[in-house]
Amino acid sequence: MAGKSGRTISAVPQKSFMKTILSWEGILLVLFIGINIFCKCISPVYNFTNVLREMPKYLTEIFLLFPMAYILLMGEIDISVGSTVCLSATVACLVSNAGLPFGIVLLAGLATGTVCGMINGFLAVKFRELPTMIITLGTQIVFRGIAEIALGDGGSVSLVNADGFRMIAGKVGPFPYLFFVVIICAVIFTVIAEKRVYGRSLYAIGSNSRTAFYSGIKVNKVLFTAYAVLGFLAGVSALFLISATYGANTTTGKGFEMDAIAMAVFGGISTAGGKGKLTGAVIAAFTIVCLRVGLGQINMNAQVILIILGLLLICSVLLPNISSALHKTRKKA
Amino acid sequence: MEKKSLWKKITGSREASLVIVLIVLCALISVKSPAFLSMQNILEILKNNAVIMIMSLGMLCVLLVGGIDISITSTLALAGMSIGMMYKYSVIESTLLGFVIAAAMGAVCGLVIGLVISWGRVLPIIATMGFMYIYRGLAYLVAQDQWAGADALGTFKDFALSNSLGLGLINNVIVITILCYVIFYIVLKWTKFGRNIYAVGSNEEAARISGINVTAVKTAVYTIMGLLAGISGALATSVYASAQPNMQTSKEMDVIAACVIGGVSMNGGRGSVLGALLGALVLSVIAKALPLVGIDAIAQNTVKGVIIVAVIILNVLTQRMMDKTNLEKREM
Amino acid sequence: MSEYVLELKGITKIFPGVKALNNVQFQLKPGEVHALMGENGAGKSTFIKVITGVHKAEEGEMYLLGKKVDFRGPRDAQQAGIAAVYQHPTSYPDLTVTENIFMNHEIKKNGMIQWKQMNKEAQEYLDQLDADFKPTVEMGSLSVAQQQMVEIAKAISTHAKIIILDEPTAALTASESEKLYRIVEKLRDEGVSIIFISHRFEDMYRLAERVTVFRDSQYIGTYDVNGITNAELIKHMVGREIKDLFPKPEVRLGEELLRIEDFSRTGYFKNISLKVRAGEIIGLTGLVGAGRTEVMESLCGITRPDEGRIFLEGKEIFIKGPGDAMDNGIVLLPEDRQKTGLILSWGLGRNVTLPIISKLTRKGFIDEKAENELSKKFLEDVDTKAVTIFDAASSLSGGNQQKVVVAKALVQDNMKVIIMDEPTKGVDVGAKAEIYQIMGELAQKGFAIIMISSEMPEILGMCDRIYVMCSGRITGELSRDEATQERILEYAMEKEKREEAAER
Repeated sequence: MAGKSGRTISAVPQKSFMKTILSWEGILLVLFIGINIFCKCISPVYNFTNVLREMPKYLTEIFLLFPMAYILLMGEIDISVGSTVCLSATVACLVSNAGLPFGIVLLAGLATGTVCGMINGFLAVKFRELPTMIITLGTQIVFRGIAEIALGDGGSVSLVNADGFRMIAGKVGPFPYLFFVVIICAVIFTVIAEKRVYGRSLYAIGSNSRTAFYSGIKVNKVLFTAYAVLGFLAGVSALFLISATYGANTTTGKGFEMDAIAMAVFGGISTAGGKGKLTGAVIAAFTIVCLRVGLGQINMNAQVILIILGLLLICSVLLPNISSALHKTRKKA
Repeated sequence: MEKKSLWKKITGSREASLVIVLIVLCALISVKSPAFLSMQNILEILKNNAVIMIMSLGMLCVLLVGGIDISITSTLALAGMSIGMMYKYSVIESTLLGFVIAAAMGAVCGLVIGLVISWGRVLPIIATMGFMYIYRGLAYLVAQDQWAGADALGTFKDFALSNSLGLGLINNVIVITILCYVIFYIVLKWTKFGRNIYAVGSNEEAARISGINVTAVKTAVYTIMGLLAGISGALATSVYASAQPNMQTSKEMDVIAACVIGGVSMNGGRGSVLGALLGALVLSVIAKALPLVGIDAIAQNTVKGVIIVAVIILNVLTQRMMDKTNLEKREM
Repeated sequence: MSEYVLELKGITKIFPGVKALNNVQFQLKPGEVHALMGENGAGKSTFIKVITGVHKAEEGEMYLLGKKVDFRGPRDAQQAGIAAVYQHPTSYPDLTVTENIFMNHEIKKNGMIQWKQMNKEAQEYLDQLDADFKPTVEMGSLSVAQQQMVEIAKAISTHAKIIILDEPTAALTASESEKLYRIVEKLRDEGVSIIFISHRFEDMYRLAERVTVFRDSQYIGTYDVNGITNAELIKHMVGREIKDLFPKPEVRLGEELLRIEDFSRTGYFKNISLKVRAGEIIGLTGLVGAGRTEVMESLCGITRPDEGRIFLEGKEIFIKGPGDAMDNGIVLLPEDRQKTGLILSWGLGRNVTLPIISKLTRKGFIDEKAENELSKKFLEDVDTKAVTIFDAASSLSGGNQQKVVVAKALVQDNMKVIIMDEPTKGVDVGAKAEIYQIMGELAQKGFAIIMISSEMPEILGMCDRIYVMCSGRITGELSRDEATQERILEYAMEKEKREEAAER
């Protein structure tokens, strides 16, 4: 019954240089370069080595960005991840101070994070009627609460023996291990989102979860996995955090969830789901890191940096909306 | 038969079941610690939670139109810090003026958020996250690495200690809280504007078709939220006799939690002033009571979190059960 | 004073890319019930929205009692005495009936809403309509018929002189419809002019004096109901004789392919058994809400039945989710293309390959070239009107969207049974014929087809066998030769007959 009217449909993707540049990712890339030039201009000490040295402070948050981007792509959210980092760090520190071997310490940290993530995932899947915002608001308080109990009255714990963690904080040349782990994660998560069935499922669920379900995609499984992975990487993040601070306290990881979400949104990922690319999120993350490092080096007030980040975040969503609205009215006229 | 319908009424209405929970809670606690139900203690609880309770009202409205606002404590800090510095450098002296300025600042902050959300069509969670950073940053800028302590605040801090508005019986802070609740109760129940808020949250499209200006309603709601956050900023400064840029950080979650416990739906259209009040009260009573019944203060957050999760899950389960019985009743 | 309460001339409404109304006219006499008929997508709903001020027409004039009016918004129309009861009640589910009735014309004193008085008046309106519920209950807890009654009460409460009813009987049972007829007659006797949109001929015969027909966004004509035959009317509506619409080929039926036994799900359906053979098209019909879609969704693993067994080619199979159904070759084309059939923001190609994406991988990575080629082939097979496979699904018309959904099913090469839920709903006439064509060809190829439909002509025209459902049960099975419109309706309303008998 082939095409009775003889009509053909083109299957050749149209790629053009202009389109690539004008995509959000392209704009971000230009912005990234621009910000680096800007930082170089304002600060004489802004160079590659210095950036690398300052970077680890911020890199621990970038871990969370990748799985958070997955969850946002599905139109869900997780605001408990900062608390998960706190709880994982606390458990790892306590296990370490109990004198257990370093391997067990690592395992404890990762396992704690993963379990937290699985709890979120379980609740999200079993109670689909509830917005994940509310579920993770609850677990956010619980996870940090448990960490508070574990930390006791002092509210903090310091490593007795930091040898193992010092190892993690090591470097290859000027590059800290952390940097490689982040890069590897970035590549893996991007490739999965772009090229693998799991990634396609993420976009399908975020664009229309009913259609995805009717089309045979195991929505619950995909959702649960994303939350579990986010938990696991929160564990990883916690371990690297300990290697920098040699301890944990009740405020460890506070605000991480917001930073991760902000980076993803700045990178063009819509919290409504289905839109945006991991590459955008990665570029956005490094843009923000460079900006923070650069502005930090000229001793700009940390709070002003916060304001700039907030403005960037809002403008990154607001401007495309306004321009498309303008476009529409112009078309009408 | 009568009894059954009464029972049904209680279990069917969120407000009624919360009242029962509250009574049971108070009864249990007062057995352990008779001092708990003393007038003085109750007033103390109300005073210390006034900020959360007042902001719950604004959050109620925001949630009713299907939005959310996580920037409120930043607005609070900006407003509180600003008047704190004004008192410190004697720019203003009058207590009333301080409140007016704080409220106005809050309203402007809220208006900006409202415009970005309703005109700019930015999702509420994203917009308010951005403004959370911005307003908090501005609060730090206003502070210039300083803070306004009890000395600097002068007579302003006396406001929270005096009972002048409450006929010498009730603390001023509580009077303001009660006033806010009365106003909101009337506005939401008996005015066109209040009902429009419900209409927009219940069915935005229908509201638009029936000629309600949805954009204006949304903008107004965020402005009101900002206004209340501003007033709360002044109150917090007065109650704690200090203004610091990191005031009340992450308390916005408590405010949202109070609403959720009070039965306000995150999807809009459902929720009441009474519910928000009871939700806030349950949270504050629990916070106060835990040490009294021998649970360490340290475990407070865990208990709070568990309660929130339990309440929302219970909600879903009862809804599912009701749906199921309805289905079984359908004849075939 | 003009002869007409409402007159529209030369109305043209353009949406991006389509002319939804093209130079349309309409006249409404005082105190008449005027039927507005036409196929889905003929422009009736858009026309209503122009009258009620929701849409603004690009061209044309509107006269109310002979005076030219220009509505800037729904509010203007409301104040001019025009009220509409839409197909899907545009209500506020979380608010009470009283509030729904008085939305936007509340009774106020000193700026305060007078609840007591409003409740009292709402009760009066409901009494007028013989409603069996209180004005203080929540709208969301009411049935569709009850919600519609509230909408009508709302129209009365605005003292509307013109009431528009958009497919009010679509979701009603026969006795509920009868009640609605009586309400409409009563309103008419009180001098209200009524525009009545419906697909049901019985509605028109029962109520209307005149009927106006739209087709393909254009005005076809206005006729006296008594002076026109059914066949003529259909011809006006679809633009040609209806018989060539159904190209049902003669197919030699094969072995039994699928059989379900004793399917039950509490509150939705009970003891459903049916079977379908290779090459056979069976119809599953009944009134809206009879449980047809629910049975098929349970078969396809969308929901889980409480009881029931499924046999495919004689062997029992177990379906726990949509994926299991697909693995077994049972494919569902859902009724709601926009919500469950397609991802509207996606390109056509990706929509087509979504169900089989895991099979289009090489070493775990999606082979995009193969994917694009495959979707191109299948989209061309069903003759989709599109430029590239990257066009967004939302940019297509209803009929072409349905073709994409069909392609999405065909791409599953292990498909044996294809279930089509209202495949021609919202599809224009031309595309309808093409979809029937495809169905016929699929049957010839030996697929078993189950078609859920409320449209009598296509059920009668396409099906070898027809199952009729009523209130969650199968009440009748008819072969192609036995089936007539009357017999199907009889089975579809069996429950009410039983009830009526019991009442007597």
